[in-house]
Amino acid sequence: MPAKGTVSSSRAPASGFSVVLPSGLDLGGVPVLGACRVEVPGGRVTALLGPSGSGKSTLLRLVAGLLRMQGAVVAEDGAPLAGRIAWMAQQDLLVPWRDALGNVTLGAHLRGEKPDEARARALLDQVGLSAPDARKTPAQLSGGMRQRVALARTLMEDRPVVLMDEPFSAVDAPTRHRLQELAARLLAGRTVLLVTHDPLEALRLADRILVLTGSPAVPVEVPVPEGAPPRPARDAALLDAQAALLERLAEAA
Amino acid sequence: MGVSVSANEVADAPQEARERTILGLTGEGWARILAPLAIGIIALGLWEWAVRVNEIPPYILPGPIEVGRTLIRDWHTLQVSLWITLQITFAALFVAAALGLALAVLFAQSRVIELSLFPYAVILQVTPIVAIAPLIIIWVDDIRIALLICAWIVAFFPILSNTTLGLNSADHNLQDLFRLYRASRWQVLMRLRLPTAMPYFLGGLKISGGLALIGAIVAEFVAGTGGRASGLAYRILEAGYNLQIPRMFAALVLVSATGIAIFLAMTLVSHLALRHWHESAMKERK
Repeated sequence: MPAKGTVSSSRAPASGFSVVLPSGLDLGGVPVLGACRVEVPGGRVTALLGPSGSGKSTLLRLVAGLLRMQGAVVAEDGAPLAGRIAWMAQQDLLVPWRDALGNVTLGAHLRGEKPDEARARALLDQVGLSAPDARKTPAQLSGGMRQRVALARTLMEDRPVVLMDEPFSAVDAPTRHRLQELAARLLAGRTVLLVTHDPLEALRLADRILVLTGSPAVPVEVPVPEGAPPRPARDAALLDAQAALLERLAEAA
Repeated sequence: MGVSVSANEVADAPQEARERTILGLTGEGWARILAPLAIGIIALGLWEWAVRVNEIPPYILPGPIEVGRTLIRDWHTLQVSLWITLQITFAALFVAAALGLALAVLFAQSRVIELSLFPYAVILQVTPIVAIAPLIIIWVDDIRIALLICAWIVAFFPILSNTTLGLNSADHNLQDLFRLYRASRWQVLMRLRLPTAMPYFLGGLKISGGLALIGAIVAEFVAGTGGRASGLAYRILEAGYNLQIPRMFAALVLVSATGIAIFLAMTLVSHLALRHWHESAMKERK
């Protein structure tokens, strides 16, 4: 029985996957990613960093199966990834005519299932939306609130593979800090690919960090500090690593 | 663990400004009603004054008081005609809305269908209704149906074109999300594309409401010259032939009032349907 106010999640075995691009990736004739092979280990958080326009979101869309490229993404267990993915895009992608609660339960609504409203409400509460706000439509919410609804929807989907594109970019620093801890807890045991441009976020949350470097970009692995995520933000080793990573990103740009 | 809302986001939340209200309307609300009303009254007063001072006979230009008197005196005849025109207008608007929506949904299914049929919708739109109305009235035996077809031709295109645009305006990222949620084509249409198209459809309806009335009036004029109709346009023609100019003006006033009423009704429908979520209908956030 989960404690009051928390949301438990079923622990489906999360498969890892790899992205294989033997000749890179072109979008409309423009090379976006160089030839590479990205391993995303199962049940772990992999962070993907890089300057704007380096192809982070493209890689995420490729994994989500939105680019219609056959054979580029291979799951470790051999089964197709489709249907096992929760995707949180850079835009909040809330449906404007459904209220916050309706957006969190969108997946169940489309599958024709009866939505678990209690779980949806608990999730909205955990991302910091009050009960009256849960009944507001996206246009009535601030940008940060919309992003938190999108986060709640992604967590609501309860999928073994979670793809997130800058999930906390629109919220203020203290809220971001708390949401990172919440996400780390709720996403434990899942295969997470997290796109971010915040080195601190990557260092706190990720088991593995990849930096997209060069043009066309290829992912390069960088070391992460000791200890399991979420790592405390005041840790000296983490702050050192943040400075190093920041310099590395500045070079990559 | 809960995350409390930070202070600056609370400040972002829309704060209902408590303005002073008089009889349920704010000062600005009253100004919006009273200012145009004052202009109208002044214009009517000047008109009446000009007619009296220059002793213009009513068969050249009747004053507004004379027009009002005729409107009351001839109300019985005019009301029958008004009812006929209203029936044709709303029947045409309804058919235009239903067919426009259905055809737009068909267009949304395939680019090929849209490309092959849309030019014909444009041809229908750009052909002057005055030119083809006589043909339609000759071809179709039932005069009501003939008038309805004319009004429909005029009212149809804005709804079709707006709804088609709306159906194609669904956010591509949102369509991707629906695909990841394994939504069927039908679900994407019903749950995403049609709701997205709703404001566009309502915008088209607002234009077509007025156009349906104009189409009905134009068709009645054409039919009226053959003595085969009895709507408001026919009354205007008839009054013109008999030099009953005040009556002509009275019928004209009814046509304008009907047009304004249709526009207001469509605006209200649009507001009620969109007020909770669409930017166009929401109160400005302070």
